[in-house]
Amino acid sequence: MPAFLLYLVHTLFPPDTRQPTELGADFMILVTGIGIVFILTRYQKWRWLWREWLTTVDHKRIAIMYLIAAIAMLFRGGVDALMLRTNLALPNVRPIGALEYNEVFTTHGTIMIFFMAMPFIFALFNAVIPLQIGSRDVAFPRLNAMSYWLFAFGAILFNISFVIGGSPNAGWTGYPPLTEVAFNPGPGESYYFLSLLIAGIGTTITGINFLVTIIRMRAPGMTLMRMPMFVWSVLTTSALIIFAFPPLTVALALSLLDRTFGSSFFTLGHGGMPMMYVNLFWLFGHPEVYIVILPAFGIFSEVVPTFSKKRLFGYTTMVISLVSIMFLAYGTWVHHFFTMGAGPTVNAFFGLSTMLIAIPTGVKIFNWIFTMWGGRIRITVAMLYQMAFIPTFVVGGATGIMLSVVPADYQLHNSYWVVAHFHNVLIGGTVFGLLSGLYYWWPKMFGFILNERQGKVAFWLFVIGFWVTFLPQYLLGLEGMTRRMYTYPFGFGWHELNLISTLGAFIMGAGFLALVYNIVWSLRYGERDLTGDPWNGRTLEWSLPSPAPEYNFARIPVVHGVDEFWAMKESGDTLANHLRPQDVKTLELPKNTGMPFMLGLSFFVGGFGMTFLWWPIAIFGGLGVVACLLYAAFDYNDKKHLPADVIRHTERSWGRLQA
Amino acid sequence: MSTPAVSEPRQPIPVEFADEEESIKITGFWMFLVTDMIIFASLFAVYAVYRSRTALGPTPQQLFHLGPTVLETLLLLTSSFTIGIAVWAMRSNRPRLVLGWLIATMALGAGFVITEISDFVAYTSHGATWHVSGFLSGFYVLVGTHGAHVTFGIMWAITLLLQLRRRGLTPITRRKLFTFSLYWHFLDIVWIFIFTFVYLSGKIA
Amino acid sequence: MSEGMSEHSEIEAVEPGLEFLRPKFEVEGFPWAQVMGYVFSLLLTFAALLLVVYHAMPPILLLAVILALALGQAGLQLGVFMHLREGRGTAWQLLPLGLAFFIAFALIGTSIWIMLFKTGVS
Repeated sequence: MPAFLLYLVHTLFPPDTRQPTELGADFMILVTGIGIVFILTRYQKWRWLWREWLTTVDHKRIAIMYLIAAIAMLFRGGVDALMLRTNLALPNVRPIGALEYNEVFTTHGTIMIFFMAMPFIFALFNAVIPLQIGSRDVAFPRLNAMSYWLFAFGAILFNISFVIGGSPNAGWTGYPPLTEVAFNPGPGESYYFLSLLIAGIGTTITGINFLVTIIRMRAPGMTLMRMPMFVWSVLTTSALIIFAFPPLTVALALSLLDRTFGSSFFTLGHGGMPMMYVNLFWLFGHPEVYIVILPAFGIFSEVVPTFSKKRLFGYTTMVISLVSIMFLAYGTWVHHFFTMGAGPTVNAFFGLSTMLIAIPTGVKIFNWIFTMWGGRIRITVAMLYQMAFIPTFVVGGATGIMLSVVPADYQLHNSYWVVAHFHNVLIGGTVFGLLSGLYYWWPKMFGFILNERQGKVAFWLFVIGFWVTFLPQYLLGLEGMTRRMYTYPFGFGWHELNLISTLGAFIMGAGFLALVYNIVWSLRYGERDLTGDPWNGRTLEWSLPSPAPEYNFARIPVVHGVDEFWAMKESGDTLANHLRPQDVKTLELPKNTGMPFMLGLSFFVGGFGMTFLWWPIAIFGGLGVVACLLYAAFDYNDKKHLPADVIRHTERSWGRLQA
Repeated sequence: MSTPAVSEPRQPIPVEFADEEESIKITGFWMFLVTDMIIFASLFAVYAVYRSRTALGPTPQQLFHLGPTVLETLLLLTSSFTIGIAVWAMRSNRPRLVLGWLIATMALGAGFVITEISDFVAYTSHGATWHVSGFLSGFYVLVGTHGAHVTFGIMWAITLLLQLRRRGLTPITRRKLFTFSLYWHFLDIVWIFIFTFVYLSGKIA
Repeated sequence: MSEGMSEHSEIEAVEPGLEFLRPKFEVEGFPWAQVMGYVFSLLLTFAALLLVVYHAMPPILLLAVILALALGQAGLQLGVFMHLREGRGTAWQLLPLGLAFFIAFALIGTSIWIMLFKTGVS
């Protein structure tokens, strides 16, 4: 057997994964894993973990699991970023080599987009949407759990590539021919395609789920034009997801067929055409940008009115601009490859469509400012992120408009200017938005408030770090530094700016640590949210206790206008005022199930087998998938009853039931 | 939702729509079909772009035989009709008739898949594998994805058959049959476009 | 009315201005609609086939005509067999479906347009 073992070690741990950094990571993973197993066993928490979390179909718990995953992935992607910046801090000083650098920027980009930003927005979707529309759950609770586990196991599959077999190294976009098996024989790119395919199925299902939830499950009286703006943003985001993810699935699947089964889609010979991958990828990729930014717009549209104590300025124009951004987002993808040379007509068309997006976005920016105008502004952490967002995003947007000018794009393409631009919009827009939403809805999710003082420290570190990191990168781009270079020589005049940029990255890292400290500290000492309405909120989620009970609403509210909860408070009313014991009915709720977890696990096993072309394992995983689907088809026992007495007891303990 | 129901003569609603939860699932299934439609649109786009990229392999005009393709079209169109009748029988509440028409649909679907496979085997035995050219890759993946959908549909119909036999026509099984019929008609639509855009237009000089 | 139809038939109210989308449900004693749909689908298919086999028109026109016939088929399937106008919240399946058709054709058309770059530039 030793020969077999040697083969196994050589395949799973090829020489380039036996670097000090990787071995260090292996050690850390091992220690953390053993620690978790030890704690779970020591306190006999296995059963609790399985029953309460791994099998849950409750959208509020799924939200928390998404959030934990997102923060863990923010850590991983952030460490990648610090490694990249460290390598570039000084000319010719390179702690990691070219090949490893390729792997690190690939995993940084992929993780931040697919495994950090996406779960983070889904965490907030899950935590907030059913509460805001006055519903007891999402439309398809089991599919919701399936989405989560497909995402989670996709993320695990992607992350183990670092220690087992080698990371992907063709950039987060995975362009052929770099990903073709002739040029990239290791398992890395297969990991990339398979993990994104698995996570992508989950994301598509989430899009369908929230679209249907919003169009079919709103409380009576909540017409489209009475929905909170965050709900509108999720509606448009979900629509974008269901139209954008299929082309990605096709692009990834065809690449995988090229790699694994020898088809000729993106090969250089045999009539293949690598640029078709680029076309399909950005058919997804550009809407994806809006998939992660529209929820942030929605979050700001909730945060600004709450902390300005004013209703949102220009509700209708906000809706129109969201919907027009949704449509325009689908018509601009070629601006990612102007330099392909599709000809003046094509480039002019897509340059113009790109510029058009600035109009609805500008409308939104002005509406937020006008909402703040004359309001009673409270400077909380959530509001601070919003106020930092406006100038940051305006700069990011303006540099984007500059890139949409085709001749300028030919100069700036693939330079650090582009790197600075998309971090400017993705961090300044998406991440600021998500962090704002995190601080805003944290009490609703967990029942306590994150310490504001510590939050402000984290905020300042993060925002200052952001500007120190990315402002120099615009200048570096203008000075001709191209993206994805792992080192550079003396004498190009790049070293001061790079050093400043690296310094900024570490300030951002400190900001992340402060955020984590803030969470951990508040977990123990944070102020409990006993009212359920810590911010004097305006929408329905604040009418519930924090955290909301499993059934959300003992009785579904009736909505009469925008900002329903605010109107209730104005008229001295609450949901509890009218709730008499006889109004509480026994409820039918979805029952927990292990199927989604097993389905994710099966996909993981199958994906792992396909990565290494170990067909028995791949087939075993595939059979697992079939078994899970069969179980789901024949399982009619998917409901449980929550007796009215239990609900009455819960409501009474909150003082929300009339005597 | 909020607006009071306009007074209208009451009309009967099929059970699968009358049940709130099941009708939401039907809405969800339409959304799934939308995503599937975009998948096929992407594959059609790939095929359209690769159509002339035949490298050293055969051109569409040299490769395609219309005989088997017309047979496949007939089988699938007829199966689309039979599943339509199955839904009609479900609406008129005749469970045995539903089972019969469902089995007919499956048999026609199986005939389609077998014809397609034998067609593919004939092509590859002449050396036209997908490795040869971008055109062949696009062709096999577009048509093959449709064939895989039909195969999956047959498996789905088998599980449906078992559930219908065991449970009869309940709101849940009615909804499942209805969504299955949507899926099947959708595959028929996709096939019509494959037939037109791949096979027939391949024969236009 | 047969047992397949529910007695409690609360009709969902639709948003003002969209009344024409109010769902319609019909069940007939004999499936005339389905039979006619089947006959028409066969007619459309054979029309396209014969046009191509006999090269009845110049190529571009022929392609346009058979694509139009295919679209007619799709409409037939959707209208007759997929009961498109049935359902609660009908607007909500018409809207995404219309959008999907639009995006599907736009996606194919623009992809061809964009990827012709080899002939356009070099």
